[in-house]
Amino acid sequence: MPANKKHLTKSPWLRLAKILAGVVGGYTVMFSFHLLLARIFPQENVIATSFFTGYILWAILLLLAFLAKNVWKVWAAYIVLTVLFSLPYLIS
Amino acid sequence: MDNRKYNIYFHTHTISGIIICALLYVIFFAGSFSFFKDDITAWQKNESFTAARDVTSKDFNYVLDSLSAHHTLKGRDFDFSMQRHGLGAYAAMTASHDSTVKAKVKKKPETQRRGRGRRGGNDDSAFFTYNFAQKKDIDYVAGYDMGEFLYRLHFLAQLNVIPIRLGSPFGYLLAGVVSFMFLFALITGLLLHWDKIVSNFFTFRPWVKWKTVWTDLHTALGVIQFPFQFIFAVTGIVLIANAALMTPYASYLYKGDSEKLYQALEYSDTSKFEYTYRPLPSTFDVNKYVASVEKREAGAFISRVSIRNYQDENMHVIVESKPKADASFAGSGKTIYRVHDQKVLHQTSATEHASYIDRVKALIYHLHFGDFGGRPLRVVYFVLGVMGCIVILSGILIWLVARDKNSIPKHKRVFNFWTANVFLAACLSMLPVTAFTMTVLLFFEAPGMGDIFNWYFYSWLALGVYFIARRNLDLTNRQTTLLSAVTCFALPLADGIVRNNWFWNTYARGAYDILFIDLLFLSLAIISVVVFVKVKKAQTAKAAEPSEPAEPAVQATTRPAVKRNVIVGAKR
Repeated sequence: MPANKKHLTKSPWLRLAKILAGVVGGYTVMFSFHLLLARIFPQENVIATSFFTGYILWAILLLLAFLAKNVWKVWAAYIVLTVLFSLPYLIS
Repeated sequence: MDNRKYNIYFHTHTISGIIICALLYVIFFAGSFSFFKDDITAWQKNESFTAARDVTSKDFNYVLDSLSAHHTLKGRDFDFSMQRHGLGAYAAMTASHDSTVKAKVKKKPETQRRGRGRRGGNDDSAFFTYNFAQKKDIDYVAGYDMGEFLYRLHFLAQLNVIPIRLGSPFGYLLAGVVSFMFLFALITGLLLHWDKIVSNFFTFRPWVKWKTVWTDLHTALGVIQFPFQFIFAVTGIVLIANAALMTPYASYLYKGDSEKLYQALEYSDTSKFEYTYRPLPSTFDVNKYVASVEKREAGAFISRVSIRNYQDENMHVIVESKPKADASFAGSGKTIYRVHDQKVLHQTSATEHASYIDRVKALIYHLHFGDFGGRPLRVVYFVLGVMGCIVILSGILIWLVARDKNSIPKHKRVFNFWTANVFLAACLSMLPVTAFTMTVLLFFEAPGMGDIFNWYFYSWLALGVYFIARRNLDLTNRQTTLLSAVTCFALPLADGIVRNNWFWNTYARGAYDILFIDLLFLSLAIISVVVFVKVKKAQTAKAAEPSEPAEPAVQATTRPAVKRNVIVGAKR
């Protein structure tokens, strides 16, 4: 049996919003998080580590966008997180 | 797990899976054979690396000598990146730093020798592949072989001809997207089965219904393989699509200077050495020096030899090395040597020195290439890779069978069938096509890139179209299995007849890599025969009693190499 439709997003626009939130927003959160880490730890080590953690984190954030009940909250959360993580970079 | 989450995992897993399945199958199939890239190369060219390894010396002096026949070498930089099998190198020669040498060559037209990536422009720099065993440089197109072909197919390099460029060549980009979606499908798949992971693992009810065969196969193999596949998803993205991270890092952390980023990550040595215009008083024996480093670094192999400012007073030789897998998992060694006063400026030993970045890189490369445990480990990797192919095929079939119900509208079912039909035809044709092409190449004098492309892709197209047109998944499965048996058996047979490379002969002359490929295909042939017989039996039984569950036909579903047991219960 395929997945039960009643639990899935019906509107194609909402679905697109979710996919974009996960792919684009997920990426910016992941990337800004590693930029933040690069402030704290040796830069090149953070970059090397992110070869593993970056893609895994991105995939998880993509999944979270699908799991959320309200996609706009995901957008808001991802934007806030991205700004927050990149603050040290933006200030200096 | 709450029902909503379960259904979301289920749906995202299904959709991401069905989008990538056919390409992922190609990647897994070609990738599994790529573990034996060097063996396939040796097999096709009939030049064993294992037999030649001990008798071939890496004669750098000879390379430089032969280059000097056409070029003035004074003041140039040379880089020799050793190939994995150690008998060849990618060699690069820059234009001379010496402006008097440079001035002379500028008047000359572009030289006649061809080679891959022979950089344009008006200097006479060169880039070529050099074979130390044959003592000559190899033209890339002419030296192309099935090992290289399958290796490049596994990251879809052949699709780079499609002129869509979004930051990187189309094939690489596509392979990167597929591996990222694969990672996503793996995570959702694991979560989907999380609650029942233990109980389901021990549930194996193969012969109840066809759908449960696919489901159990998919789940059991998928869970066994999860760590392996997860490693491949992540390292695969890093190896093919790391621009997704590197480009932004370069622009945000290195102000757009990617050179600096690569240097920080220890990818390249960009140390600059000033050119003095004072000739080196003595001659320098590169071989002797490299041999001395090799002797000192007993637990390592030379990965790169760079010469800077050749024959200048400020000439330097940089030798980089990597630890052998049994000496150390990670590490990098580097010796910088100044020639005129014989001074070692920098020295680290590959077996003793490993930075954090070395460790990360070692993880990525070793885990992906499976080169840290010799041939037995590569065989295990191959088997696991082929199991990945089975997981993909069973996934396609679950997808089809789950939707083959009266409640689904007719047009959707037709579409679903066609999707599965096309995917299976393309996927299952790969083994016979691979064995067939390799066999055909035996009859060519010197098969090049064009021959391989034509034979492989046209036979794949023909076979694929044939099976698509037959519109019968049972038949596709049965005939591809039979064809696999025939072509895989023909390969060692033809090798014996055409080149006298019978098993005992290759064994006797120590050509274990050639022997291995013959044996590999012989085993694939035997497995195909076994599967064919069982599939045939099962299909007859099914035809006789369509309402009854089919009898236990393929018992060895957990046996890794049985990739052909794709019997489709669902009639159209």
